[in-house]
Amino acid sequence: MYGVTSLVFFLIAGLSALAIRMELYQPGLQYMGEDTYNKALTIHGVLMQFWWAVGIWSSFGNYLLPLMIGARDVAFPRLNALSYWFFFAASVLALITLLPGNHIRMLWTGYPPFSLNENAGPVAFYALIIHLLGASSLAGAINLVVTNLTMRAPGITLKKMNLFLHSFLAMNVIQILGVPALAGAVTMLLMDKYFHTAFFDPTRGGDPLLYQNLFWFYSHPVVYVMILPAFGVISEIVATFSRREIFGRTSMIFAIWGIAILGFMVWIHHMFTSGVPDWIRIVFSYTTVLIGVPTGIKIFNWIFTLYKGSIRFTTPMLYILSAIFMFLIGGLTGIPLGLPAFDIAVHDSHFVVAHFHYVLGMALTLAAFGGFYYWYPKYTGRMYSELWAKVALVLIMIGSNLFYFLQFIVGLEGMPRRYADYPAIESWVRLHELQTVGAMILGIGIAVAVLNLVFSTKFGKKAEDNPWQSPSLEWLIPSPPPPHNFDKTPHMPEDWDPYNYEWLEKQHKKQ
Amino acid sequence: MKEVLAYPANYWQTMYEIWLFIAVVIYLVVFIPGAYFLVKYRYRKGVNEKAQHVHESKALEVLWTIIPTIVVIYLATQSFAFYRIQRNAPENAMEIKVTAFMWGWEFEYPNGKKVFSFFNSVINPETNAYLKPEEVNDMFKAYIPADTPIKVLCTSRDVIHSFYVHPAKVTEDCVPGRITHMWFQINKPGEYWAFCREYCGTQHSKMAAVLKVVPKEEFEKWLNEGMQTNNTSYKQNL
Ligand code: HEM
Ligand SMILES: [Cu+2]
Ligand SMILES: [Cu+2]
Repeated sequence: MYGVTSLVFFLIAGLSALAIRMELYQPGLQYMGEDTYNKALTIHGVLMQFWWAVGIWSSFGNYLLPLMIGARDVAFPRLNALSYWFFFAASVLALITLLPGNHIRMLWTGYPPFSLNENAGPVAFYALIIHLLGASSLAGAINLVVTNLTMRAPGITLKKMNLFLHSFLAMNVIQILGVPALAGAVTMLLMDKYFHTAFFDPTRGGDPLLYQNLFWFYSHPVVYVMILPAFGVISEIVATFSRREIFGRTSMIFAIWGIAILGFMVWIHHMFTSGVPDWIRIVFSYTTVLIGVPTGIKIFNWIFTLYKGSIRFTTPMLYILSAIFMFLIGGLTGIPLGLPAFDIAVHDSHFVVAHFHYVLGMALTLAAFGGFYYWYPKYTGRMYSELWAKVALVLIMIGSNLFYFLQFIVGLEGMPRRYADYPAIESWVRLHELQTVGAMILGIGIAVAVLNLVFSTKFGKKAEDNPWQSPSLEWLIPSPPPPHNFDKTPHMPEDWDPYNYEWLEKQHKKQ
Repeated sequence: MKEVLAYPANYWQTMYEIWLFIAVVIYLVVFIPGAYFLVKYRYRKGVNEKAQHVHESKALEVLWTIIPTIVVIYLATQSFAFYRIQRNAPENAMEIKVTAFMWGWEFEYPNGKKVFSFFNSVINPETNAYLKPEEVNDMFKAYIPADTPIKVLCTSRDVIHSFYVHPAKVTEDCVPGRITHMWFQINKPGEYWAFCREYCGTQHSKMAAVLKVVPKEEFEKWLNEGMQTNNTSYKQNL
């Protein structure tokens, strides 16, 4: 349910992105006014972040966590239902903002004092959506953490737990610590607007930067909520198709927690040009770049997992390898954004937009699609079409690199972001034209990938129970799993491990 | 020394080149072994059907913890060194006050002279598209002396805006209730854009101003000519 909702919103957000891209094709306003543009940008940003990048992982977690730890269900099934219905209610409200008359134009950041201004649209609506989503994520996160810590089947120790579950645990802990800060920020916003408090209104002694601090204290860590599960999926798939355990498994676990902790110590890098004291900018530039270290450890470990493996180039593996190489570009372009000497020129420019599209738009989306294909036989009992999945990947890679790489260049040339229109500076015009072509190709690629998933539920051929020959617990039961997953709680033997491929072979021989 | 169009853009340029070099090297360090392993250890019937057992290598893991740490600390320190210069205006800088509002800029010079630039002064009223800088009426342009460091003190009348000088590659937010600062210097006379870089509503993408950089003598002459934009035209445009 979660997964389908997220995917639908991904498509809506994708369509608004294509509309934005069409408008930027040429300078001047061709298809929409500035107002519509700002509205489309708000919708695109909000939906992509909260429904796609965060929402999609909730769906993965909800489904896979019990299967991977040998539990029949999550710890609090009703809390889980509540979490879904909050999510659903927020979704309906978000759809209502698409109707005329409810324009929210304050972008997903909602900075005051702009958001207190008439021009921004209804704050109450925005706050309600954020609160519902926040409550949904809190409920979901608490549920999954408890499930994970208390319901693991005998024999599945923390050390033997899938890396995906480790990243998931870290993600949920971030949610639990971070959501209250955001909830506080939007509540204060609401009170400022309707009850005449003055937290953020400078004309009455408030401080608009306080909002930014609260907002980013949550919203920076939340990017790791989006990307850590993607790392988890990458680890699973790389291991399965190299047929060996992830290289440096212990250091992987430390890297996950290192990222989660450092994630809370870097939020000021979103405020390098906001007027905060200079020494704070310097201190936070050090903490920011340090986050590159655990991230680097993860990448090197993935690459060395290939070493002496027996690598199978299945579709999920191809998606995941593409995700790693795109993430590398996204990560390497994130480091300079942590350096004030560099950032003052590109802050709030298209360079930033390109950076997070490499990380979220590409690495995350490719990992999610890799995950869809990987666990597709588990969910549906059928296989997808190999051919169309590969066609989609080629289109996505060509389209997105054409689009986002050129976006870096326009950004370096100074093009500010969130611009419906721009002056006809010759190189900008050409770069924007090509980007739009890239976005079209990308859009087609994503459409092919999604249609493949949809049609294969009906026309795909029957899948084996364990098509990838993985010893991870979710693959040891039939596909799709029976209603209660496990008839009785499994007891995992001493020599079992989710990445011990020899164990699986021995089992086959025994039979 | 090669001709520098604007300060402190040259420091940014150097920082950019250092980073780009390091980033390309890191990319290759990951990509080349990655591609090599993919080819070498691909599954082939009869040849490479089974993965070999490799133990973790503490030495390698320590290596790729320590080297990246050194690299990023070097980058941050280099940035620190440049940033101090990029951030702090030279002593002899001329100060101008910039006040941002929805959607335009007010420039105030040391002698009290003011220039206003509005979103609708940079567009063609018929097509609603940007004009070229030369086509904008001179009355809306902020004159800036060439070869002179300019310190900008910025604030805002309503929401947060951000003053970005295109050729100088610096931006700093203009926050209501605060005064923030930045500096720049443009060495070649000509007309350049300044944009608003913080989202501020409907006309955010048109909140631009033209900086007209002229030789010092010409600037002095212009500065003492009296107000170019009077209060009535200011009100008309609001
Ligand atoms: C078909 C794929 C996509 C296309 C064509 C696309 C295109 C765009 C464009 C043109 C912008 C506006 C840039 C600006 O003017 O500032 C934008 C902004 C943004 N995009 Fe995407 N995007 C895509 C996928 C994604 C994904 C997958 C995510 C997140 C997971 C995402 C997150 C965002 C965010 C957060 C913004 C910033 C909104 C803001 O400035 O408030 N996008 N995108
Ligand atoms: Cu503005
Ligand atoms: Cu603006």
